[in-house]
Amino acid sequence: MAEGITLENVVKTYGSGETAVHALRGVDMAVAKGEVVGLIGPSGSGKSTLLKCLGAVIEPTSGKMTIGDQCIYDNGWKVRDLRALRRDMIGFIFQAPYLIPFLDVTDNVALLPMLAGKPNAEARRLARDLLDALDVGHRAAAMPSQLSGGEQQRVAIARALINRPPVILADEPTAPLDGQRALAVVGLLNDMARQFDTAIIIVTHDEKIIPTFKRLYNIRDGRTVEEVQGKAA
Amino acid sequence: MISLAGRDILHGWGKFVLTGVGLGLLIGVTLSMAGVYRGMVDDAQALLDNSRADLWVVQKDTLGPYAEPSSLTEDSERPIQAMRGVAQAAGVTYLTMQIAHGDKDVRVMVVGAEMGEPGLPGQPTHLISGRQIVRGHYEAVADVKTGFAIGDRAKVRRNFYTIVGLTSRMVSSGGDPMLFLSLKDAQTAQFQKDSDAIVRQRARTAANPQLNPPGNPAVAQAVNAVQSGNTNVNAILVTITPDANPDEVAATIRRWQRLTVYTRAEMEEILVQKLIANSARQIAMFLVILSIVSAAIVAFIIYTMTIGKIREIAVLKLIGTRNRTISWMILQQALGLGLIGFIVGKIAASLWAPFFPKYVLLLPSDSILGFVAVMLICTMASFLAIQAAIKVDPAEAIGG
Repeated sequence: MAEGITLENVVKTYGSGETAVHALRGVDMAVAKGEVVGLIGPSGSGKSTLLKCLGAVIEPTSGKMTIGDQCIYDNGWKVRDLRALRRDMIGFIFQAPYLIPFLDVTDNVALLPMLAGKPNAEARRLARDLLDALDVGHRAAAMPSQLSGGEQQRVAIARALINRPPVILADEPTAPLDGQRALAVVGLLNDMARQFDTAIIIVTHDEKIIPTFKRLYNIRDGRTVEEVQGKAA
Repeated sequence: MISLAGRDILHGWGKFVLTGVGLGLLIGVTLSMAGVYRGMVDDAQALLDNSRADLWVVQKDTLGPYAEPSSLTEDSERPIQAMRGVAQAAGVTYLTMQIAHGDKDVRVMVVGAEMGEPGLPGQPTHLISGRQIVRGHYEAVADVKTGFAIGDRAKVRRNFYTIVGLTSRMVSSGGDPMLFLSLKDAQTAQFQKDSDAIVRQRARTAANPQLNPPGNPAVAQAVNAVQSGNTNVNAILVTITPDANPDEVAATIRRWQRLTVYTRAEMEEILVQKLIANSARQIAMFLVILSIVSAAIVAFIIYTMTIGKIREIAVLKLIGTRNRTISWMILQQALGLGLIGFIVGKIAASLWAPFFPKYVLLLPSDSILGFVAVMLICTMASFLAIQAAIKVDPAEAIGG
């Protein structure tokens, strides 16, 4: 299976000397395209720092990160345009949908390809196709405030998928949802991962969805421990 | 690429438009202040235009007749009239006073002009109805702004004058409408003492043996006649022949008559640079303060709008939106606010200008300048918000 994202001995230290905080102490991680893995860990374990490193928002202090077959960070060297990297290669799903309130559903999803330079009409056509695939096509003209929580989360998933990124990072996407809806969202993400051949990393505390992951990364004190579970989504 | 600013404005258009209207009223006040200044300058120029003079001959070493009191004898007119290059010369008096009109007081500038021959400088121009003064006494021509109508009677000092003609835009440099009387009537109004003062003056003359020598009552009568009459004027307005140079004619009058003479350019400078200079500075201060207040309001509104969108900005940045795109969005909103404000301000200023007691002149060039200033102010005011947006860390969207 092709690798979606790979981390090798990633270290992140904030500050230096006696006041240095070692948030990540050598994280190894590999998520294949089409695979959904969970990332769990107690508060302060380094989850958010890892997510920010994965999301190319902050730079690791050392180590190597690869997305697809492109090295994006290697012991001090990094891809020059992290903004374009985030736009083209990483999809984000947040705890709350964080849709842009002044854009309708179609344009919320179409914004990314528009930012990448696609013509508006083509970007909107892609967005509508994706919204149809996620069963929210009928709300394409609605404003985010007119959607239910579940619909908003589906639109957020469509936004993350629209540029067909090799990796999607989901930061507690089921936190505001009840058990059934949370499982439905995870099921949807699994479908999307397979359909779009995307590696999806879900950061979660949600006990209801943890058993659905085939593989889990448990982060403690800045180090990840891989756990393989029998039950899968 | 879609217009993020446009979508954001449309999303909350009510709030945006109301804010723009509020800003617009402030801009309207600013444009009106500029209009008041322009009106003052225009009033001054109208005063000079309407006098139809090329030269103003006034009391020596004064800035009269508009900026300082000036008094010279009516007789000075004749030698000036005889000088080379002089086409016409006419004495004129100016007196600003309150006169009764019905149950209200009207502040007017009473102008005494020579009515002997038509077209003399100082006579009322722009007659919109009625006729010129043709009788020697008790007729008047009033500017429409006085509120008088043809046939009304205006009381000036002790005498009543019938309004026989109406003019427009005949105002003093202070914007007071003019009331024209014949020169003799105006001199009476300006210099005539009240009855008690005349009685006391006559008693003093009668008690003075030098002015009232025994056996020669004609002396006292002559003295009384001199004291009760006045033939002074405030200025002599001069027109020159087409081939004459105003500076040369002015120099000749100064040399031979020992009077002060101003050309049109000099008189305009006195009115604009001296008479209304303080008012202009006052208005300029208001304009500066209003501009600063407008800038502060725009900056505050745009900054507040931006801070209210911090999470969205963080998300936009995280998903790959350039700082340039976000800055442009904020700048467009600031410019949009300025545009709405300017349109509302321009309309408001035009609507309320006629209700100002003084003439408010809204020049197209001032509007263009005002528009450029509003756009510049909005651009500068958006810097703070743009800076705040640029500082937003995309990691804020992830949290943790």
